Amino acid sequence: MKIHMNMCTKVQSLLLLSGLIAAVSLPAQTTGKKQTLAITGGKLLTVSHGTIENGTLLIADGKIIAVGVAGKVTVPKDATIIDARGLTVYPGLIDPDTTLGLVEVGSDQNSTDTSEASDEIMPHMHVADAFHAETELIPVARLNGVTNAVVAPGTDDSVAGQDIFIQLAGKTRDDMILGRDVALAMNFGADQRRRGGRGGGRGEFPSTRMGLITQLRQNLMDAQHYEATKLEAQKKPEKSADMTSDKSVEKSGDKTEKPFERDLKMEALLPYLHGERPVVIGVYEAYDVETIMKVAQEFHLKVILNHVTRTQEILDEIAAYKVPVIVGPIYELPRANERFDAVYTLPAELAKRGVKIAISSGEAGGPGGAHTVRNLPYSAGFAAAYGLPYDEALKAITLNVAEMFGFGDKLGSLDVGKTANVVLANGDPLDVRTDVKQVFIDGVSQPLVSRQTRLRDEYSK
Amino acid sequence: MQSAGTSGGKNLFQAQNIPGGSLLKPFPSLLLLTPVLLPFLAATGAAAQQAQSAPTDLVLKNATVMTASHGTIQNCSVWVHAGKIAAVGTTVDAPSSAVVVDATGKWLTPGIIDPHSHSALDSDVNEATSPVTPSMMMIDAFDNRDAALYQALAGGVTTELLLHGSANMIGGQAVVIKNKFGLSRDAMLFPNAPRSIKFASGENPKRVYGSRNQLPSTRMGNFEIMRQSFENAKSYMATWDAYNAKVAKGDKTATAPKVDLKLEALADVLRGKLYVQIHCYRADEFLTEEAIAHEYGYKIRAFHHALEMYKVADKIAPENTAIATFTDWWGFKDEAWDAIPWNAVMSMRKGVRVALKSDSNDHIRRLNQEAGKMVHYGGATEDEAIRMVTLNPAWIIGVDDRTGSIDVGKDADLVIWNVDPLSTYARAEKVYIDGDLFFDNSTPGFGTPHFSGVMHEATGFGNDDSEGFNDEGGN
Repeated sequence: MKIHMNMCTKVQSLLLLSGLIAAVSLPAQTTGKKQTLAITGGKLLTVSHGTIENGTLLIADGKIIAVGVAGKVTVPKDATIIDARGLTVYPGLIDPDTTLGLVEVGSDQNSTDTSEASDEIMPHMHVADAFHAETELIPVARLNGVTNAVVAPGTDDSVAGQDIFIQLAGKTRDDMILGRDVALAMNFGADQRRRGGRGGGRGEFPSTRMGLITQLRQNLMDAQHYEATKLEAQKKPEKSADMTSDKSVEKSGDKTEKPFERDLKMEALLPYLHGERPVVIGVYEAYDVETIMKVAQEFHLKVILNHVTRTQEILDEIAAYKVPVIVGPIYELPRANERFDAVYTLPAELAKRGVKIAISSGEAGGPGGAHTVRNLPYSAGFAAAYGLPYDEALKAITLNVAEMFGFGDKLGSLDVGKTANVVLANGDPLDVRTDVKQVFIDGVSQPLVSRQTRLRDEYSK
Repeated sequence: MQSAGTSGGKNLFQAQNIPGGSLLKPFPSLLLLTPVLLPFLAATGAAAQQAQSAPTDLVLKNATVMTASHGTIQNCSVWVHAGKIAAVGTTVDAPSSAVVVDATGKWLTPGIIDPHSHSALDSDVNEATSPVTPSMMMIDAFDNRDAALYQALAGGVTTELLLHGSANMIGGQAVVIKNKFGLSRDAMLFPNAPRSIKFASGENPKRVYGSRNQLPSTRMGNFEIMRQSFENAKSYMATWDAYNAKVAKGDKTATAPKVDLKLEALADVLRGKLYVQIHCYRADEFLTEEAIAHEYGYKIRAFHHALEMYKVADKIAPENTAIATFTDWWGFKDEAWDAIPWNAVMSMRKGVRVALKSDSNDHIRRLNQEAGKMVHYGGATEDEAIRMVTLNPAWIIGVDDRTGSIDVGKDADLVIWNVDPLSTYARAEKVYIDGDLFFDNSTPGFGTPHFSGVMHEATGFGNDDSEGFNDEGGN
């Protein structure tokens, strides 16, 4: 079973040349994986096709091979039965925006690799290069049923780097990264003006929104020019190759012309300029959304909007963009003189307008998007409390996220053929009081332990 | 000395109800009493209570009532008379003139109480210019139009302890508010609330001063600064005692020593007139703090954050020191690395009084759900969980005889919820403080019967991690 998505041929071949990419393989087969598992008697929240009250789910070789009402699904005689009576069974949750694996202790620079803030335009930063698979944070998140996540760089830069899509299990980094460079992380707004005189900045360009947009547009145009130059350069050797296949002759060709030099930064932008993969644009204010969307449209970028927590006045406009939106964090604070629930109601308001939404786990002013991943289900539940239909809330942390990042055929719902990332809990997965009882990733039951449970157990003696 | 001699136990209070009650105005003559009184006179102001628009009698009828003190009662009504709870039961003897709110199918709890907030203080959370600043009065920075107060109110929060930040080993004195958003600043002060002082320890003070090459830059320096401060206070007290003794003997030539606001505040700690609230994360530091408290003879009311209490809860429980803790924040710095979300329930089971707190303009809006997490992390009962955000924080602040539970005689600080408040789906529908309706989710606009003006934008996120000096404080 190969889950790795070959969705990024150009950059990948580039990386292969650089020797940076390792072959992506799935976790080693465990003894349990080959065996057929039958999860029986549970309430199945399929996400894609409703709720099955007394359902049976079959897993074999890491995949879901059957889903249905008890009695309609034949359980093989040799199957291991997992009695899920009284439990809720649902697909593993997927956080669309985290820094998992890029930060360990928040205040410690040495264990933090979130932002390469030496320049605003850093598309050639690959999260895969910094992802720390052995982080203690992953088991903590997994305990609450999160099985996958998009790991994105920090938000200092206008173009911060390229995201990875991970699975929260595996012995090595390569086991865990299901897709590298799955999206380009972009940001626009007040925070990226960090070089300016404000807040102890250095008083350098760009210090305003005008500066940021000019710089971005110039870089995107530079990338287009780079590509044209590259294509031109590629034609020339072909010509000389036509003349002779002898290398020495090729070398002794036109000596006045410099050989084409790869520019990794420009290369990194090309798949996004081709619309092959999404750019995730982090933006909060309504007028900033309007500004950055103009640039995105000008360059035909395939956009996923992120945050949009201060856009109540342009929700119809956002819907008209016909782009998916990662709303929130839902716990972002409203502006003064807005009603208290101005942000709480955003997921519902956007979904009502037909926008495909995802919900992330972040909080306002808290420890940040790595330590709070375990609270992902509660963020979605909170959106449901403020008007988002329950099924949409669950979808916003499962199937919608998978679809936005190119994993819709592999993850995000309880459907035949999908990866068996399945969670069992003793109640509503979105309720803070619910306990997760079992987590399957790739059909393998994960130990429900973390550094935190070990501390708990040590001091409970 | 005068302050000790004349005001006695009353000094403990954020005194608003000086006898004279409703006639109180800022008395110029009061200001002459003694300079020592100044700090908390500032905290007091005048109790210019606005006219109550609340009905004299109010009945919240037929709800599921989580009392926080004596369990959860189904189909229960609460009668409020003149701002106080007059009766609780399946039937109540309210007069026919009472305004009746049908709460059938709804849940009713005491108002949520946050024992650790930095809301409504603009960016004036930390006077981070010296590690010892006990005479700083948070009331002096209190902005009663801060939007964070409104957002907390809409989350059912009726009482807050607004604390100094954690940059200093000995910070400033807190202000206790009732979240009567829309009333005057003075009308939002919790009458007669005890005075609290904020201490800190660990990474924040040593980072703030260490980065300036000043003492303290280590935990050794941190604690030595505390000990030296109390030595100074003892010496100051002795000087005053000697003077007072002379005066008592009729010595007319005795010269009064200088009143020192800083030492006076420290002396009040030693006199037991200030509740000591300590920002402290690590297990070893709880033990050191208790040892120092024993050495100098004061009590620690609560450890705040207290993320490692689960390691030493059996040692701290006999001290009767409570904790005000985060539910599940962790890993944001070294001293939060051993934080576990079972801390609250494990500590509670060992006999420690546990409250949950926000330290955040975000979390303060949903402390009820933070309490709900305690059912998940450690199996708290719902009654235990709701107590962590009502009665227990009331005790930490020292107002548990007035609010924090649904009991006859207590202030009618009450919240009606659409569903079980510990659920993710809970929304505060109506919030009453002293029997008066301050938030009503069913009304358009802000939903604030007492507020219709312009709010001030909250600064930062309401923890110590704000701008300027404050980001040196941290959580």
